[in-house]
Amino acid sequence: MTEETKKQDNFLQLKDITTTFGSIVALNNVNFSVKKGEVVCLIGPSGCGKSTLLRTANWLTPPDKGSVSLDGVIVGSESNKNMSLNEMKVLNGIRAKMGMVFQQFNVWPHLDALENVVRAQLVVAKRSRKDAEQKATKMLFDVGLGEKIHDWPDNLSGGQKQRLGIARALAMDPVLMLLDEPTSALDPELVSEVLNVLKRLANEGMTMIIVTHELGFASQVADRVAFMEDGKIIEEGPPNVILKSPKTKRLRLFLDKLNITSFTQS
Amino acid sequence: MAIDFSIFVEYGPRLLMGFWLTIKIVISAIILGMPWGLVLALGRRSRFFIPRLAATSFVEIFRNTPFIIQVFLFFYVLPFYGIRFPAEYVGTLALAAFGSAYFAEIIRGGIDAVSKGQLESARAIGMSDWQAMKNIVLPQTLSIILPPLTNQTLSLIKESAILSTITVNELTMSGIRVQGEIFRPFEVFIMVALLYWGLNESIAFLMRKIEKKANKGRTTNQNIAGKNTFISRGASR
Repeated sequence: MTEETKKQDNFLQLKDITTTFGSIVALNNVNFSVKKGEVVCLIGPSGCGKSTLLRTANWLTPPDKGSVSLDGVIVGSESNKNMSLNEMKVLNGIRAKMGMVFQQFNVWPHLDALENVVRAQLVVAKRSRKDAEQKATKMLFDVGLGEKIHDWPDNLSGGQKQRLGIARALAMDPVLMLLDEPTSALDPELVSEVLNVLKRLANEGMTMIIVTHELGFASQVADRVAFMEDGKIIEEGPPNVILKSPKTKRLRLFLDKLNITSFTQS
Repeated sequence: MAIDFSIFVEYGPRLLMGFWLTIKIVISAIILGMPWGLVLALGRRSRFFIPRLAATSFVEIFRNTPFIIQVFLFFYVLPFYGIRFPAEYVGTLALAAFGSAYFAEIIRGGIDAVSKGQLESARAIGMSDWQAMKNIVLPQTLSIILPPLTNQTLSLIKESAILSTITVNELTMSGIRVQGEIFRPFEVFIMVALLYWGLNESIAFLMRKIEKKANKGRTTNQNIAGKNTFISRGASR
């Protein structure tokens, strides 16, 4: 294996991550890496550590132990927990390249849709207002919000807010997208509009890590599905293997439960 | 006791001089105290220990001691260190320090009222802590803190009367002096009270106008806004 392919295989690398919140062990010595262009879905019962793992990737939740690197550059490691201002600057630069999408959207209610997408381009990427607005308009059109560019977030539906959140992240030209249950807070009929945007991104070759409960969606877009429980990755592999013929009993139980609920719901 | 209206005409101008000084002192104290309050508020949530300790101590000391004692300390202690200012400067400084402690708590409360996800999403997209504060959190804080800031301003105006104890010739002091000359406490202090009341009432009126303006543009449809409605939006960018 050459250096180059190794680097490609470990585009994002989380090494020996342990995270505790008080007495709760959220992540227990987890190793996880993502290839460039790969779409990975994280599944598992709530409280299993999937969101924490995602938030470790951009150092939003610094772990107790372990390190993260993106494309060979250290994002953070246990040795620099008390970051200097310079290290913070480097981290902010890396974060700008990792788009993050939140379950609760976290769009900025005091800015209209366009300005939501423009602001970080001005402040973080130091683009000119003209360039930023051009880019933002394009991004909003791409996610189907072309008609809404001057609307206030309060006047958008949940699905529209989430697509605004995605456009905001994409405008920074991210090399990686982190999505934390992007459809969990949506009314069922609004889920597909968000998933369609994500499918398009996956087809365009965007590297993505998606925490999701939408197994159907996972099986369509994911190159790999990782099942987590109790702060560990229990089983991972291609979706048709993982979701159709799980090896571990825990995953089988988890999938059974989900299938029963989806059956009773429909 | 009949009210002698001629006193209003004769001594009104002297009280107005004092009134004008009160206004100048309070405005200066706010101009000094509010930015300092913001610094204190940000200091209290710093990730470094020293600024956190310094800001917290400052706020706690000024919030938990009587203003009149603070005024005495400023007035009698500063000269020992060779710092000599005219009384109205010392008074302004004391009022600014006192006010900033309360402003700091109001601003801090406003920052805490903005949901955590707002700061997180700003940090996740690469903004520094200060950029996130300035662009995302503080603008949303503004309309939350306007009403308590108004209250605090009104209270500062009333507290400024205490500066009469260190010879500052503001409204209360002017009243005391005029009363000492003419022994008509009723007319004099009615005038003083009316001036304070008029000033506070106009400020309250003005701030209500500003609040309304700050809330305009947001939540034209409260139903869709759902759970976000309690987070007021500042004036549009």
